[in-house]
Amino acid sequence: MKSIIQTSIAILVVCALLLYGVSALEKSSATSGGGSITIYNWGEYIDPELITQFEEETNINVVYETFDSNEAMMTKIEQGGTSYDVAMPSEYAIEKMKENDLLIPIDQEKIPNLKNIDPYFLDLPFDPGNEYSIPYFWGTVGIAFNPTLLEGQTFESWDDLWDPSLEQEVIIVDGAREVIGMGLNSLGYSLNSRDASELREATDKLKTLGPNIKAVIGDEIVEMMRREEAAVALTWSGQAADMMFVNENIDFSVPEEGSNLWFDNMVIPKTSSNVDGAHAFINFMLDAEAAAQNTEYVGYSTPNQAAIALMDPEVTGDERFYPPEELRERLEVYENLGLEMLGIYNELFLEFKMDMKN
Amino acid sequence: MRKLSKLGKVYLAAVFFILYAPIFYLIFYSFNSGGTMSSFDGFTLEHYAAVFNDTRLIIILMNTVIVALLSSLISTAIGVLGAIGIVFLRNRKMRNAVLSLNNILIVSPDVIIGASFLILFTMIGVKLGFASVLISHIAFSIPIVVIMVLPKLQEMSSSLIDAAADLGASKRDILTRVIIPYIKPGIFAGFFLALTYSLDDFAVTFFVTGNGFSTLSVEIYSMARAGITLTINALSALIFVVTLGLVVGYYFFNQRARTVGTGGQ
Repeated sequence: MKSIIQTSIAILVVCALLLYGVSALEKSSATSGGGSITIYNWGEYIDPELITQFEEETNINVVYETFDSNEAMMTKIEQGGTSYDVAMPSEYAIEKMKENDLLIPIDQEKIPNLKNIDPYFLDLPFDPGNEYSIPYFWGTVGIAFNPTLLEGQTFESWDDLWDPSLEQEVIIVDGAREVIGMGLNSLGYSLNSRDASELREATDKLKTLGPNIKAVIGDEIVEMMRREEAAVALTWSGQAADMMFVNENIDFSVPEEGSNLWFDNMVIPKTSSNVDGAHAFINFMLDAEAAAQNTEYVGYSTPNQAAIALMDPEVTGDERFYPPEELRERLEVYENLGLEMLGIYNELFLEFKMDMKN
Repeated sequence: MRKLSKLGKVYLAAVFFILYAPIFYLIFYSFNSGGTMSSFDGFTLEHYAAVFNDTRLIIILMNTVIVALLSSLISTAIGVLGAIGIVFLRNRKMRNAVLSLNNILIVSPDVIIGASFLILFTMIGVKLGFASVLISHIAFSIPIVVIMVLPKLQEMSSSLIDAAADLGASKRDILTRVIIPYIKPGIFAGFFLALTYSLDDFAVTFFVTGNGFSTLSVEIYSMARAGITLTINALSALIFVVTLGLVVGYYFFNQRARTVGTGGQ
């Protein structure tokens, strides 16, 4: 009995010491006066120095939390319990959050730096007039490939993926919209198609890709490509940038038939308890220098024109990640197809995956 | 004890190799200056420096340890009393019913428990953060402690208690001087199992973290989305070494206590 009591006391003492340590650390990093805001962002999706800089400039203390999927983020915001002030969902999630009444409209007058954003990235179908969202990063869907493993093959067209020499070499990302969208694009249709015969045609074409496919996976693609376990991957430009950062052999291309344009945006959820602080943060992130620094850290494409002017032209002139005007015109943003249509996409994707087994 | 046959030794070595290989692989690359786990470019300690420079990560680590220690301490106290209660329930049907309820909590998936807690906390208006994480960790640890303590209680002969009562021990004395010393190994086992459960729980914790309070499992999970950075390797290596140190320390402490002969326990 004595030893149990001793152990318990020892544990309590350790806890007390740790608690003291935590509060001391928090005090040293916290600035007082301007209140605090809670940011909810993807993991590894901001330069931590910018948060410190923002705290110093505005005296607003930042509580920073991370999530790993739009769905998880929405669940936590919907349930409340935490006063998230700024979140960074992807475009389709914004539409859903709008429908579910989870967002607070953004007061654009409080965000003077909005002028830094390229107008091409404003007023898009998922949020007309940018009433609820401000672009954070953007990118495309395309083909990442490793020329050293491929004898100099290039990928200017989606049809290049069907090349018989690529047997068991292609990895594709496990997403219904991305894959069916690629099928539609390769036939010259819109990737928001609602036409049953177009969708059928696209699925049938995808099925003939079967022999070339090595795997249908998610985030592991990055690691596989880095290790040269695969030569070709259908993936997002952001993931491709991650691969290229490590393995210089890898190249990325957005096929000329067109592809998807995706966005991660800053929004103010309904749970916000410091709306002014949230606006201040969004405005800060749109500042040319801050955005340039953040873009260099994260490595995705920035919609911030003023930041691009400050950045290394070698990066921003890279047409793989900052596609030229004529390609941009062929890029499409996902529209919200509605639950029923989405169900059809999912079913066709499943059909395609099942067909691969044979 | 009979000596292990050669084949047995090889088998044992193979099992341990498989168990420890991933950990050593991970620790090995935590010293890699290359920045990824694909090739080893040279020795560096910069990832360890990164861990110590990241105040947020250190705070999260400390929070994780506090929650683990406190929740396992409290759940051990509750769980031990619960187990004693279950054993002394007269009605057999009732006892089985309570035991089944306890077991259901062990086998039910973490996501379900986590989501239920999230709904409960937001419904009754508890702010998500330290308290909500602590409460849910205590809750999912209690059934584990009960299950660890129960066999010890059942193996204890009831004549021990009768003898103590015959010798004039009060109920309190029976509890603190007979039962608890007897089941002590079970209590410690329960405590350590609760500790490990709490340290690595992701699913429940994910739902109930908030307001800047987070634990390592949740943090690493969202970091890993952008590819594992070697900072995680360094952090994991540190945790592994500390754990190893604790286990070795505990072993030596026990050995010494035994050889000095202070009565074993």
